[in-house]
Amino acid sequence: MAVMFFGQYLVERGVVTREVLLQAIELQESVNLSVGAVAVSMGFLTETEVERINQAQRTEDLRFGDMAAKLGLLNQEQFQQVLTKQKNNHLYIGEALVKVGGLTGEELPRYLEEFKQNQAQYVTDRVVIPEGVANAQIWEVFADLTYKMLTRVARLTFHSEPARVATALPPFSTIAAMEFTGDVNGTYLFAVQDGARKRIASAILNQENVDLEEEEVLDDTVMEFVNVVCGNIAAKVAQLGSSFEIEPPELLDGNSGLSVPPDRTGILFPISLSDGEQASMAIFIK
Amino acid sequence: MRKVLIVDDSISVARQLEKMLAESGDFEVVGHGKNGMEAIKMHQSLHPDIICMDMNMPVMDGLTALRTLTALDKNVKVVMVTSLGGVGDKYTEALKLGARNVISKPFEQETVLKVLRDLCPTTA
Repeated sequence: MAVMFFGQYLVERGVVTREVLLQAIELQESVNLSVGAVAVSMGFLTETEVERINQAQRTEDLRFGDMAAKLGLLNQEQFQQVLTKQKNNHLYIGEALVKVGGLTGEELPRYLEEFKQNQAQYVTDRVVIPEGVANAQIWEVFADLTYKMLTRVARLTFHSEPARVATALPPFSTIAAMEFTGDVNGTYLFAVQDGARKRIASAILNQENVDLEEEEVLDDTVMEFVNVVCGNIAAKVAQLGSSFEIEPPELLDGNSGLSVPPDRTGILFPISLSDGEQASMAIFIK
Repeated sequence: MRKVLIVDDSISVARQLEKMLAESGDFEVVGHGKNGMEAIKMHQSLHPDIICMDMNMPVMDGLTALRTLTALDKNVKVVMVTSLGGVGDKYTEALKLGARNVISKPFEQETVLKVLRDLCPTTA
């Protein structure tokens, strides 16, 4: 079971069909307006001014309200009123499903509770991110889901050591990496030695003995582990209101270690496996 | 036996799915494509009953391939099998483009078989 959102959970359980979910999503899309559209509906901005703000956001990385304030189009009090109205009018997917007849009002709280229990395994546990690193809450999700998937997908027993800012990832026989771009940018890296690679392969292929497997297959299982971890991180981060795209995973030559590029900040999350071998998760943040 | 085409750049995922489907006795894997481009070619040559396809792949990603497959064949049955299933925007886009269902990774055999059997009931 992976990180999910409520509508997906209901379709997977067979409670609602994909057609009904799509109807509910379309209803949501028609009701849930953007900040700019709400500001227009309240008479604070014109559509031309919203377009001007959107244009300016393409050249400077500021949120809508901050850009509107910078251009002198919206004051702080008005912006707060817009946010409040947007929040109060927000139609959640569960409510939308009731409106389109996919669920009854009585069923909704029961399924929401079931969903909450199902996803409790993915509630983020506290991971301390080194002081001074921006977007700490997001990197916490990166580390926490790596640890959770190490247990659930790779079936490894381990102890996580404190994270630290570093200038290089030490040498490892296998390093799988994934680029991510969006609200946050960088490279996710997962590094293991041969013993852990075999154990990950054994778990992913669901076969006890992997001694006869080709190198390509063993490496592929580590890359697939990274793919599963990063996809689920993207889902969890989306729940926090941020988004990023991921590239297909790749294998890096890590026998001499990897230096953190000068334009990036490296955070290492060392992992001690129960058999004494070391592994590491790292993020090179752009 | 229903014919399944697997499209995923990962060899290990293809092997996982193939093993699960073989054990069921209801499905036969007829091919393994490694990107969206191969999915389109193999759909035309193998005529599978169901395509299980990843989203995040090199050369051509799964959503781009899905758009083409549904344009070429409005009856094509594609199930996305992806680690990005929990990302609401991706999930919704897949359904809007015509995916019959989306299975998130890590997946369980029970879920995979239920989704595929619902989509393509086998005659016992």
